[in-house]
Amino acid sequence: MAEFNLFDAEERTLEQAEALRRDVAGSPQPVRDGLDALIEAYGRSVREQRRLVKVSDRLQAQLAAVNHELGRRKAEAEEALDRLTAAQESLVQAEKLASLGALVGGVAHEINTPVGIALSCASHLADSTARMRELFEADDIGVDDFERYMATATDTTNLILANCERAAELIRSFKQVAVDRTTSERRKFDLGAYIRETMASLGPHLRQAGHAVSIDCPGGIAMTSYPGALSQVLGNFVMNSLIHAFDPGTIGAIAIQVDQPEAGRVRIVYSDNGKGISEENRGRIFDPFFTTRRGSGGSGLGLHIVYNLVTGPLEGSVAVEGGSAESGIRFVITLPLVTTPLH
Amino acid sequence: MDNLKVAATERSPEVDFDFERGVLRLRGESYPEDASTVFGPVFAALEGFLADAGRRAIEVEFDLTYFNSSSAKALMNMFQMLDNAAGAGAAVTISWFFAPDDDTMKEFGEDFSEDLEHVSFKLVPVG
Ligand SMILES: Nc1ncnc2c1ncn2[C@@H]1O[C@H](COP(=O)(O)OP(=O)(O)OP(=O)(O)O)[C@@H](O)[C@H]1O
Ligand SMILES: [Mg+2]
Repeated sequence: MAEFNLFDAEERTLEQAEALRRDVAGSPQPVRDGLDALIEAYGRSVREQRRLVKVSDRLQAQLAAVNHELGRRKAEAEEALDRLTAAQESLVQAEKLASLGALVGGVAHEINTPVGIALSCASHLADSTARMRELFEADDIGVDDFERYMATATDTTNLILANCERAAELIRSFKQVAVDRTTSERRKFDLGAYIRETMASLGPHLRQAGHAVSIDCPGGIAMTSYPGALSQVLGNFVMNSLIHAFDPGTIGAIAIQVDQPEAGRVRIVYSDNGKGISEENRGRIFDPFFTTRRGSGGSGLGLHIVYNLVTGPLEGSVAVEGGSAESGIRFVITLPLVTTPLH
Repeated sequence: MDNLKVAATERSPEVDFDFERGVLRLRGESYPEDASTVFGPVFAALEGFLADAGRRAIEVEFDLTYFNSSSAKALMNMFQMLDNAAGAGAAVTISWFFAPDDDTMKEFGEDFSEDLEHVSFKLVPVG
């Protein structure tokens, strides 16, 4: 089989031209000169064509190599992005669990008081009842004894009832907050009531230190959004005030003010009167891993998660204001009353 | 006649034609959108130079790291023009520079010089 030759036709044409040159050897000089020049030019042109094909083959090979490399790098970058997103998700998940842990701690502390009172009342009632039974069995109950027992029974059962109700009520509201935090369900809720519930669940942390909390929210603001995310945002603000704003031993003030600057939106201003934040740090507090307490428990994720929750599911915006040293810090959150339902 | 000096751009080589010394140098990369804007002035200057070169010496240096197909064709035209001038009596030297690890650029130099009959051609590894 003949070897494949890209320029087979051209070479045959040249051979034929050479044959023609021999055939016309007897022709007049100008004809022979003209033919020589034509053959020479055609030969050169074919040689040039060969080189040009080589040049463009090389360029296309280079282009293909570059494209290949580009594809590889793009795949690499996408993979890195995927890993980063996964890492971020697991951090958010970890933070959720941590804040749930704090919540459970708070719940335990808060419920301890009514349950403790109910318990001691019940044991007091049990003691009195046992004593009455002894007197009854000895057939020795006096009117005084009976009246005292009746008074004790009335008092203790009232206290037991009231404290069990208080405990049940606490469990109800904690359950809602906890469910919201874990299920991230979108539902309708009353903003003022929800803020108060959330702050109550954070109560033990605040009351221990004696900080004053004021909530100023018009009644009847109905939102359809993600209450769990909102409660996590407030929880992070409060924990930050406790850790970063107030020195141990000092008594601070935290205020939450809500208004409606425009229809369909609500503005929540969270502020404390603590140490505030320096101008140079202010621009970085929403960055992941920015913390001024590295080494003593700060991971620098709290406000980053706040930012993600507010701009993500809550579809709002968050900004930090003021906070020149000593005047405290102010976070301004603006949210739509109704978020877009997912699908 | 004035010297020709054109600075390199991202897509065209530096051109330096020193008439006094008879040295023409092209250096850089060459993949212009329109080859005639780059090579037009070079051809015009070269034609002018060769027209009254007589038996003068001219040295042409190609120090290119990358060129496209139109530039390749222009280079071959230049080679032929220089070979004709050399055939007519001018002392023409062409130096083709290539990076030692750039075998293909060296091969292009070899291929392009195939048709030279009168020019003295040098392949020069650089860097
Ligand atoms: N109320 C505040 N007063 C003063 N500085 C604050 C306040 N809130 C946050 N900051 C500053 O912002 C930084 C970032 O806060 P962020 O909640 O993101 O991280 P962190 O509290 O240090 O760590 P983490 O919340 O992950 O445990 C804090 O380290 C602190 O310097
Ligand atoms: Mg924090």
